[in-house]
Amino acid sequence: MVLEEASAIIGGPQGAGVETSIAILARALARVGYGVLADREYYSNITGRHSYIHLKVSATRLPRSLSYPVDLLVAMDAETVLTHFTDLTKGGVAIYDKGSLGKHLEEIPSVEDATKARVRRACEERGVECSVGGVLKYLEREVGVKLVEVDFGRVLKSLAETFKLDPRQLSRYASGVVISSVAVVLDIREGALSYALGAYFKGREGLVQQNMRIYRLVSSELGSYRGLLKLGKPSIGLDKVLLATGNDVVAMAKVVAGVRYQSYYPITPAADESLLLEKYSYVEDEEGPIGPLVVMQTEDEIAAIASAIGASLAGARSSTSTSGPGFDLMVEGISFAGANEVPVVITYYQRGGPSTGQPTRGSQSDLMNAIFAAHGEFARVVLASGDHLEAFYDTVLAFNIAERFQVPVIHLLDKFLANSLATTPIPDIDTVSIDRGEVFRGSGSYRRFDLSKVVSPRAYLGAEGVVMWYTGDEHDEYGHICEDPEVRVAMYSKRVEKLKLVEESIPRERKVGVYGDGAPDYVIVGWGFTKGVAIDAIEVLEKRGLRGRYLNLRLLWPFPAREVAEEISKVPRERVVVVEHSYGANVSSLIAMTTGLAVGSSIVKFTGRPITLGELVEALERVIVGGERRVVLSYGA
Amino acid sequence: MERRSYRTDLWIDWCPGCGNFGILTATLKALEELNLDPSKTVLVSGIGCSGKLPHFVNVNGIHTLHGRAIPFAMGIKLANPELTVVVHGGDGDLLGIGAGHFVALGRRNLDIVVVLHNNGVYGLTKGQASPTLPMGVKTRALSWPNLQQAVNPVALALASGYTFVARGYAFDSHHLKELIKAAIAHRGAAFIDVLQPCVTYNDVFTAEYYRKAIYKLDEDPSWDPYVREPTEAEEKLVKAFRKSLESGRIPVGVFYVNPHVTTYEDRLSSVLKVYPKLNPANSPIEVSGKPVISAKAFERVFRDFIVYVES
Repeated sequence: MVLEEASAIIGGPQGAGVETSIAILARALARVGYGVLADREYYSNITGRHSYIHLKVSATRLPRSLSYPVDLLVAMDAETVLTHFTDLTKGGVAIYDKGSLGKHLEEIPSVEDATKARVRRACEERGVECSVGGVLKYLEREVGVKLVEVDFGRVLKSLAETFKLDPRQLSRYASGVVISSVAVVLDIREGALSYALGAYFKGREGLVQQNMRIYRLVSSELGSYRGLLKLGKPSIGLDKVLLATGNDVVAMAKVVAGVRYQSYYPITPAADESLLLEKYSYVEDEEGPIGPLVVMQTEDEIAAIASAIGASLAGARSSTSTSGPGFDLMVEGISFAGANEVPVVITYYQRGGPSTGQPTRGSQSDLMNAIFAAHGEFARVVLASGDHLEAFYDTVLAFNIAERFQVPVIHLLDKFLANSLATTPIPDIDTVSIDRGEVFRGSGSYRRFDLSKVVSPRAYLGAEGVVMWYTGDEHDEYGHICEDPEVRVAMYSKRVEKLKLVEESIPRERKVGVYGDGAPDYVIVGWGFTKGVAIDAIEVLEKRGLRGRYLNLRLLWPFPAREVAEEISKVPRERVVVVEHSYGANVSSLIAMTTGLAVGSSIVKFTGRPITLGELVEALERVIVGGERRVVLSYGA
Repeated sequence: MERRSYRTDLWIDWCPGCGNFGILTATLKALEELNLDPSKTVLVSGIGCSGKLPHFVNVNGIHTLHGRAIPFAMGIKLANPELTVVVHGGDGDLLGIGAGHFVALGRRNLDIVVVLHNNGVYGLTKGQASPTLPMGVKTRALSWPNLQQAVNPVALALASGYTFVARGYAFDSHHLKELIKAAIAHRGAAFIDVLQPCVTYNDVFTAEYYRKAIYKLDEDPSWDPYVREPTEAEEKLVKAFRKSLESGRIPVGVFYVNPHVTTYEDRLSSVLKVYPKLNPANSPIEVSGKPVISAKAFERVFRDFIVYVES
């Protein structure tokens, strides 16, 4: 059978090469012309705990969502087989290590007790023995799954003999076995694989050779399984794609936006962005130098925001990246930026809270935190992005808004985007503009907070012949402390009212993206990573006779109340469905607050795993056809 | 050349007799004698009585958050290394709420001067004990003698890696001015602990107390705090430490100067070759509203992320 698209899970212990496997496989698949979306699920752990990649490969488009059940399960260890055996589709394929066959659930120490109980229950319900051998036998007999056994040990031993490798180093090559078996089963051509290995192990030719050797060994062992899962001929039609995670894309956009100062304190899932920026902090391109960008690892997030504000005052485009716990520490600094009209961008990758919560899992539960945290009233802007490409453009937009209106801008993203690897169209740099706002070029008596304008022209610290003051206290036009009630009212209003200018300046389509039918039966409202799965769900339901529309909110504050009200008024309120990775479907409260309209229904998920297509389609039917008002999703290990 | 006026015309709202007047006078004098360009000089302060100082000085002034003057200053200095950046903060500000930043600046040896206004109390909130008030001391506003030990600012600065460490006295403006000038001239993180009476809330460590207790380090002709060769660093550091622990009389003057440690600017230029000549404040980011990076350059720079399809 030839598939238009296929879903897969590749799992193994954290640190065993799962991430390497997908980096190389995705590149090989993209090389041949397939679209890939791969989410990475892992524990807050360095080595040993269960991690997996959940991916979708498509021959016909760039995938937007992830799906269960999967067509392919690739297990580097017993825990993966036992944790995911229920995720396989009828007639799917399971690739597993012969060495794991005898393992029983109870012998695997890394499985949490609660997970053990859950897996045990799944085994009992199916009447199978809870061992790798037991569940595989069940899959083969009852689910029609084709079993592809790979002897990891034998392949690696043979490799060791050929290259005289130290046996203790062999585990490093397990990813090679995974990559090779998937390449055989999906019938990826050898040239694409060697290209991908070459790109990943650039400058380490030995590793490329060794991995190609693994490929030949696996290929001869699995010869009869070649093309067992056959994907259709690629027809996406792009001659080049960007293959990057959300963290990568934001970093690239910051380089394009001209960021010159980035501060950070290490935190998941934000730190990778800063590490990548370090790599590109100064580039001597043939067209001229790009940079320098000072990336500063500070002693805490308070110093991160404070130093970013300082750098901004000196005229550098500056930003800081963090997650919920770090953002909480930054709040006083954001208030200072508001009071002093300082352009600064905070890239905020949400993860599961409260407190440490689920540090490596995804969430959209910090919406209210991003919009309302900080004392006093002042203008701030909060942007969200629905996918990698939007994240690119929104990153640049964030700096333009920040500098033009002299406000803090929060770019609200999440772990799902941060850690998922996707094939994306190359951003169109020609359409990108840089707006630094009005800059004071004179000298002499300068009033930093000139009240004749809502946005006073900005001079940078160090500007020739100019002296200025800033203070967190209420201040006069020069930036000196002033508590006079008239000045207070004028300054306070100026800072709050510029929000209106921001609202007017942003084009409608950058505030709210609309997808689907213009005369819908139901409207889904969401923001961030729910975009892809929502649009795909609408497509599925359309085939079942339900016309849906998706509102992808990109400007979260100032909230595009008028645009949203117009859209959601098209259907009865119980057919307005908020989809969000949270408990509270919090954007409903924002809509109610700004439009006076109550949203009737919600579909939420707060397991820390992304909403997948099948569960969303089913939930939408329950809401729209079945009349349920709230559905809580939970699928995924 | 016409003499610049470094004093703004704002009325100074410190209590009459406040030690801050002495620190302000020394600051103004130092700026004047160094003839610093006001537009290339930045005073950064935290919160409290000391925090208001920049408003009284006619150079760029950033009155920031409680405890955070150092990281604000760091961002300014890293973005524009041409600027002279001086931090003014109280003891609660720099050694209480902002102690982490104080230590971090020493580790970095970034070219910033930190002036500690050390009066033992939180004045603006009515006299609570600060991190430099010794244990067992009961100042006017306390309900009982202080239960927390004092931190030793000079010892902490030495341990943190500051490469210029000194102590001055607010009411010896001439001496303090010289310390400030030397600290500004020093390349690297410089720290001056300024003993400062609080006339309103500190009735123990008064001007009279300091007049009797203070002596100058350079009264001893053998006192030489300058590390002349890198090999002397350890010995001079140990001597400075020991001096900082002296009880009874209080030494003021320069404790330690080590010009041989690389500054953060130097370290940064080892990885960003063009820095500090080309820096965040002076490097272009746009040409007529377009990014400096073209579509073609984007593909070149980020080639590792681009896959050319070969179907």
